[in-house]
Amino acid sequence: MKEFLPKRIWQWFERTRVGRSIFRVGLPQSNLERAQAMVSSFLLHMQPAKVNRHSLRASYSFGLGLISLYLFLILTFTGVLLMFYYVPSTDHAYNVMKDLQFVVSAGLIMRNMHRWAAHLMVIFVLLHMCRVFYTGAYKRPREFNWVLGVGLFLLTLGLSFTGYLLPWDQLAYWAITVGTNIAAYAPYIGPELKYVMLGGNAVGQEALIRFYALHVIVLPAIAGFLIAVHIWRVRKDGGLSRPDEAGDTVQQVELSQLPTSKTYGLMELARGTTPQVGRNPEDEVFAWPHLIFRELLLFLLVVAAVLFLAVFWNAPLEELANPVHPPNPAKAPWYFLGLQELVSYSAFWGGVVVPGVLVLALVLLPYLDHNRKGVGRWFARDRVVANTIFTVCLVIAIVLTIIGTLFRGPNWSWQEPWKKPPAVTESH
Amino acid sequence: MNPIAPDKHVSRRGFFELTLGWIAAMFAVCASAVGAVRFLVPNVLFEPSLVFKAGKPEDFPDGSVTFLEEERVFLVRQGNTFRCLSAICTHLGCTVNRTGQGYHCPCHGSVFDDQGGVKSGPAPRALEWFLVTLSKDSRLLVDKNQRVNSDKYLVL
Ligand code: HEM
Ligand code: FES
Repeated sequence: MKEFLPKRIWQWFERTRVGRSIFRVGLPQSNLERAQAMVSSFLLHMQPAKVNRHSLRASYSFGLGLISLYLFLILTFTGVLLMFYYVPSTDHAYNVMKDLQFVVSAGLIMRNMHRWAAHLMVIFVLLHMCRVFYTGAYKRPREFNWVLGVGLFLLTLGLSFTGYLLPWDQLAYWAITVGTNIAAYAPYIGPELKYVMLGGNAVGQEALIRFYALHVIVLPAIAGFLIAVHIWRVRKDGGLSRPDEAGDTVQQVELSQLPTSKTYGLMELARGTTPQVGRNPEDEVFAWPHLIFRELLLFLLVVAAVLFLAVFWNAPLEELANPVHPPNPAKAPWYFLGLQELVSYSAFWGGVVVPGVLVLALVLLPYLDHNRKGVGRWFARDRVVANTIFTVCLVIAIVLTIIGTLFRGPNWSWQEPWKKPPAVTESH
Repeated sequence: MNPIAPDKHVSRRGFFELTLGWIAAMFAVCASAVGAVRFLVPNVLFEPSLVFKAGKPEDFPDGSVTFLEEERVFLVRQGNTFRCLSAICTHLGCTVNRTGQGYHCPCHGSVFDDQGGVKSGPAPRALEWFLVTLSKDSRLLVDKNQRVNSDKYLVL
């Protein structure tokens, strides 16, 4: 059978002198070349040459971490494009949004993609965290990767929140006013924290440029770095977590247990602390093409989904920011509405104590949980206590968010979404 | 002796070098951190001044409560007394509206009476009153740096 034409062209190119200088190993034909292809390419060598079959099962990880990564990449790409037009000034920012909507070619699509990918990223990072929790994947030796994950979760929220101000419309202005005032309730440093965040006493030009700097460079740089470490650790921790039956990691050798009088080769040392990826050859398949193909397919799906949303739904843009008239009700971004709901009962408890305790609990979780059973299976019986506690917290958070988002009308009074809000009379 | 393993006995000189080295390094790190944080605290604000002239006393009719947009305050006149009330909700910083006898925050529904006291809602403190004086050119001068009790008036 004749080969597919593009493939033949590619194979010809690989054999030319230029081709060989770029790709040391061409399209792999043998198992040896499959392994070589993985280790000889910068992008591929972050992944193992062989992966455990269990890790490839879509129903185990649902690819949620990968989806988060892809959303981050889409956000970086569209975000850099938006930067070519955006001006972080209270006089121009809003007009730029209008230009993007009506003047710039594909500006609307880029803005929409950026906005929807940002919302999706918050959702998928959360789902990824739930997956990791319910499969007990944060247990030894992956404790620290969970901690890195908590950092990434907070960064994701921070990125979303700082980006929220940039369009300089009513939504932006009041969400940031409310959000930074929640921060001001933190004990001791609260008011100073707010002052430094805003670069003044109220949301204005100084705040806009600060949020801009955080949004386009500080937070993405930190997040990009942490994502790299996070994914590298997934591999160094022995690939995805899996149950013992799936041919698990060889017993871990601690470096401290090795005799120190001998000279070691680099590979021996590298192996010393890391559990080795499943030894049993039947449990493993080559990453090329099994893993690579799935990764590319998922990437395509994510891009297609974001594009679909961006084509059919426009990112909201309200009126120009007006410091005098808050919209009624003034709401924070949706992922903070659970907090805002709590804050409407008590700013200190809802805004400081509850989120503070939650974040602390998340960070410490892998070190507090001494139960070593139930890794690598969804909702393992051995973890019924941990799973119940987590689920209760999760459900409360979701219910509060839904109440804050849908059931709060003018004056933050109870308002069923299917009823029309009563007319509010205002006078000055 | 193993040439790579460090000598376990630290000489006096080595001890000083080590301590000084560490102190210098910590100092450098802390000083940079302090400098960076201090850098972020603005020294000059390009916001409307906290001290401002609200206008001539005659501009405000007797018994009126006037909202000054730019400054986000209410100017309250009763007879020949003048006071100035902050329009910034003490809960999360929304601008409150005047309603009938008091004030109402649209964001989370805090209700304040006409003295700024909290009647209901999540606001933890009463709205703030600011010091009002008369400037040399007979204008009402409000100083938002100076908070006063609700019973302090400028009497003309
Ligand atoms: C920007 C956000 C994040 C990105 C891009 C990301 C990316 C990834 C990727 C690509 C994987 C490989 C497995 C998979 O696709 O599911 C992974 C695994 C993992 N992630 Fe994340 N992640 C993020 C946030 C988090 C969060 C919020 C947590 C938890 C608090 C977390 C904890 C973990 C752990 C413990 C693993 C290992 C799971 C296992 O071995 O089964 N990550 N992450
Ligand atoms: S900001 Fe006024 S009630 Fe929340």
